[in-house]
Amino acid sequence: MASTTAAIGSRAAAEALVLRPPRSLWSNAWYKLRHDRLTMIAVAVLVVLGLLAAAADVFAQYVFTYTYEKQDLLHTYEKPTLDPPAYLLGSDEIGRSQVVRLLYGGRVSLAVGFVAALVNLTVGVAIGLTAGYMRGRVDDLFTWFVTTLNSIPTIFLLLIFAAIWEPGPVTLTLVIGLLFWTGIALFVRGQTFALREREFVVAARTIGARDRRIMFKHILPNILPLIIVLAAIDIGAIILVESALSYLGLGILPPTPSWGNLLTNATSYFVRAWWLVVSPGVMIFLTVLCLYLIGDGLRDALDPRLKAEK
Amino acid sequence: MTAKQRTGRVLIAVFAATVLVATACAPGGPTASPGPTGTAAASAKPDQGGRIIEGSTTDIASMQPALSNDTSSSRIINLIYDNIIQQDPKNGEPKPKMATFSASSDGLTYTFEMNAKANWSDGKPVIGEDFFTSVKIAGKSKKTVRKSNYQDIEGFKDYSDGKATTISGIKVDAANPKKWTVKMTKVSCPAILDLNTMAPLPTQVFGKYVTEASKDEIDTAPENTSPTVFSGAFKFKEWRKGDQVILSKNETYWQGTPNVDEFVYKVVANSTAVTNGLKTGELTFGSLAAKDLADVQTVDSVKITKYQALGYTFIGWNTLSPTATGLADKRVRQALAYGIDMDAVIKAVVFGEATKNVAHHVAVQWSFPKSPLEQYKYDKAKAETLLKDAGWVKGSDGILAKDGKKFSLTISTNSGNQERETLAQVAADQYKQLGIDAKARPEAFQGLVTKLTTGDQTLEATIIGWNLGGDVDPYSIWHSANVPNPATKVEGFGFTGFKDPAMDKAIEQGRNPTDGNCSTAARQANYETFNKILNEHQPYNFGYSNNVLAVSQKSLQNFNPASYSTIYNIHEWWIKK
Amino acid sequence: MRNFILRRLIYAIPTLIGVSIITFAIVRLSPGDPIRLFVFGQRDITGEDIERLREAYGLNKPIPMQYIDWLIAAVQLNFGQSFIYHQDAFQLLLSRVGNTLQLAVAALALQLVIGVPLGVIAALKRGSWADGLIRVFGVAGHAVPSFWLGLVLIIIFAVQLRWLPSVGILTVGKDAWDIADRFKHILLPAFVLSLTGIANYSRILRTETLDVLGQDFVRTAHAKGLHERTVVFVHALRNALIPVVTALGGILAGLVGGALVIEQVFSWPGVGQFTFQAAIAKDYPIIQAATMLVSVLLIVSYLLRDIAYAIVDPRIKAS
Repeated sequence: MASTTAAIGSRAAAEALVLRPPRSLWSNAWYKLRHDRLTMIAVAVLVVLGLLAAAADVFAQYVFTYTYEKQDLLHTYEKPTLDPPAYLLGSDEIGRSQVVRLLYGGRVSLAVGFVAALVNLTVGVAIGLTAGYMRGRVDDLFTWFVTTLNSIPTIFLLLIFAAIWEPGPVTLTLVIGLLFWTGIALFVRGQTFALREREFVVAARTIGARDRRIMFKHILPNILPLIIVLAAIDIGAIILVESALSYLGLGILPPTPSWGNLLTNATSYFVRAWWLVVSPGVMIFLTVLCLYLIGDGLRDALDPRLKAEK
Repeated sequence: MTAKQRTGRVLIAVFAATVLVATACAPGGPTASPGPTGTAAASAKPDQGGRIIEGSTTDIASMQPALSNDTSSSRIINLIYDNIIQQDPKNGEPKPKMATFSASSDGLTYTFEMNAKANWSDGKPVIGEDFFTSVKIAGKSKKTVRKSNYQDIEGFKDYSDGKATTISGIKVDAANPKKWTVKMTKVSCPAILDLNTMAPLPTQVFGKYVTEASKDEIDTAPENTSPTVFSGAFKFKEWRKGDQVILSKNETYWQGTPNVDEFVYKVVANSTAVTNGLKTGELTFGSLAAKDLADVQTVDSVKITKYQALGYTFIGWNTLSPTATGLADKRVRQALAYGIDMDAVIKAVVFGEATKNVAHHVAVQWSFPKSPLEQYKYDKAKAETLLKDAGWVKGSDGILAKDGKKFSLTISTNSGNQERETLAQVAADQYKQLGIDAKARPEAFQGLVTKLTTGDQTLEATIIGWNLGGDVDPYSIWHSANVPNPATKVEGFGFTGFKDPAMDKAIEQGRNPTDGNCSTAARQANYETFNKILNEHQPYNFGYSNNVLAVSQKSLQNFNPASYSTIYNIHEWWIKK
Repeated sequence: MRNFILRRLIYAIPTLIGVSIITFAIVRLSPGDPIRLFVFGQRDITGEDIERLREAYGLNKPIPMQYIDWLIAAVQLNFGQSFIYHQDAFQLLLSRVGNTLQLAVAALALQLVIGVPLGVIAALKRGSWADGLIRVFGVAGHAVPSFWLGLVLIIIFAVQLRWLPSVGILTVGKDAWDIADRFKHILLPAFVLSLTGIANYSRILRTETLDVLGQDFVRTAHAKGLHERTVVFVHALRNALIPVVTALGGILAGLVGGALVIEQVFSWPGVGQFTFQAAIAKDYPIIQAATMLVSVLLIVSYLLRDIAYAIVDPRIKAS
């Protein structure tokens, strides 16, 4: 034994030999990305939206001088106007500033999207890696569970859960995170299947590296770029789902604004203030569109083999 | 408060619609918008034919009176089955409908006689046995919530528990099948209206469900959803689930054949759809949410009738709250009444279409106090003085504090009800100006209901509403026996925790008077005391009572809704061509 | 083929059991008690009454026992009585399924009728502004929140222009077979529901058509005198069949799930809206029955898709 170890050298060194960080992939991708105008625009827009949402407090206090709760019962359903600046996008049924609520709503919607996506990814990657690597019965269990979950439309399940449990925002985010991982897990599992048989993995196994180490240190970094692509799309999907739930009155409850719940009373706005219906939807659309474009762009940049378009 | 809420969101229209089923006129009579009133001139002969279409945001659940107590089902049930007693549309006083009634001198026995003309659509007369059948149905059913209405009938409990094969307290006169008596176990003033809870049901159809051998088959009877024999102005024709219920006129109706051919109860999405339907003429009558009034007033083809709703929306204070300790002090609660500009609130929340309420009963009810009550007119200075007297002083941050503890207040209400959510936020805003750290917190209805009825102490202030139809007895809401206690697992609707022995006595005497006198005058005196105590101690901020905005097409004649009933004279309505 | 189908059906059983367990857990383990909801405001209700009602509704037994009871009944297609309507839950759902299927089929039709030509046109006019527009639409179509689009379309077409009705399936008083009226009512909801599908299909068809365009046999056909457009179209369609059929499975899930929200927006009396109302009202039997129904529909549609897939591509045999 001692001789074998000595012959190969330290385990880490051996692995380092086997593993070459795919540096060229990343720098290649970055180059492509930089020159993909559409994606860059999307990134810029998203960053701006994120900054606006993050700076909601600043805007509310200094630019618009209205908090998101402040009411003015004498100025309900005002048309968009510059005087006062808070009514830039109009006022709602109790005179609250639509633009301020949009900004704060962005915070909530983006936060839910990102956190839930994070939970999603963590769970999905972990399970997908495990199932793909371990195979056998673990994989069978995985398949059964995933097939089961996929047999119920996710939004259906989420809606039922939200209607019956009436969860708070944190619980809701967690639950959303726990329902959407199947797509990611399936993908990761597929990739793991493939990578499992590649030389560097086989080599690592031969050295005697532990399973978990192989999964996380060797396979994961290779899947990472594609996971990032999935993440972008995931966040977009989650934002859509959260806004639909909030619209139905089941997601984020007022007075906390969320882009979805700004539309809950939309039917009252149809005749009196149709502009109130436009702004939240546009924000959701823009955000999700940017995320999808970024996802597309990343995918094109990172793996030309996956490119669907010509 | 309607007992069943299928969607919190529809509470806006449902509350207003609930009230259409209930009744009462604002003092001075219903106010109609300018234009010719709808009452037909004596000489005009009603045009025949046409269709009355009412819009609702919820579908009916069932046409079995024992199994449904939601507004929509009640509407249809009232159209196909007549009750024995009708509450006066304007003030709620019990009056004979299909039967006359009288009480014995000791108040324990009621004698009824069915109108000679009352008949079923299959030709058979409506008889005392049919009354008996409905009570038996309430006894046999396991899923009904109506048992509590009949619990004081002698022998009902045993029958319901399966220990007896008949109800000993109900006797049909052998010589005259249209006559019957009901014996109660104790003098109960609400009894006469309790006995009116369910309409008599045809024994020829439902008799098989109340035989000695019957169990709870009534709960799944097909006749609950496809009834065949009727005593009301209309007959059931078709139920397109989720869409509409179609009724056709009952030619043999004992009060005279209706003038119109059909009544359609249409399910629409929300109150806006109701409004649109009324404007376009697609709906014949309905009620508006206050926010749509301005929109509809400009429409020439409709007429608007206003009357007071039978109920009120209020803020209930948890006087036992461990976190909002100020609420235990009467002065603080009075300050919370003086400190809110209710007129401004009413203007904001329901566009001015409501009247402020300061006690439990509302102005149209006969039990409303005759002597003046403290109106708690908006007086910020007075509110601040009262708070100071109670020991609350504004800190450097502008928030009231006492003994080092800040006065924070969370006002809960059920989400999905726009009116209540707005009320919560407007109220919180107003209280912030008094120095109270107030915030609104909507939560889903079911959770809220559970917390309220179990006495969950995390609730500090709750906005909700009561429906005051039926008898005026406030026992289940205000008697100390109904104050929930999580420690002893007692549940009830008295979630404020407020108890007052004098008030208890007044309630008890109004309900089960020791001298057996259930006359309106005698009970009135008790409710005078009862309302005065509530008015002084303010365990609720009694909020406001909505105006019902009943809209009808001008072509609809004889439409005269009032607080207790809209359809009491539907067989006289006609559509002008 | 027969074995394939049989095997899939057998595999469906543990899946369905899994679905039932998940649904049951979500529904029955929730905090709160529907009985209190039913009796709120009812005068003089006693604790005894509440206990009696809990027993009548089957809510007083321990959860695992409730599940066993339910499972045994469910296998016989008895999903219990609705808490609200006091009628057979399954029957109530079946009476609504037709409406949702109408909507789904209409949406599917729109997807194919609009999506396919859009994709082909984009490919044929590659590089032009039309192509760019359609490609943007391909991505944007997924990013639009469907409920918002529904609201906006209602504002435009129903409120402002008054061309189309805003809610429901039929105008009051109209005969159930009034096709024109039905068409007017189904147009907007079906369109909104079909949007993601249109985006998908236009993308797929564009790719396939581009693929075909570059191939030899097109030039050959051209030389033979056949109209280029026709040849392209036919071959593109044929090649697109596989990805279209693949996309079909996922789209069905989207349709059923999306229908839930769209039905709310348009007050469409289908299974989605019914389930939503039931969920809000805590009508457990309906919720459970609806979930099982939807799952079965999905499993069947995935199976149909895979069968179609196997037929269309003989290289893919049941593995």
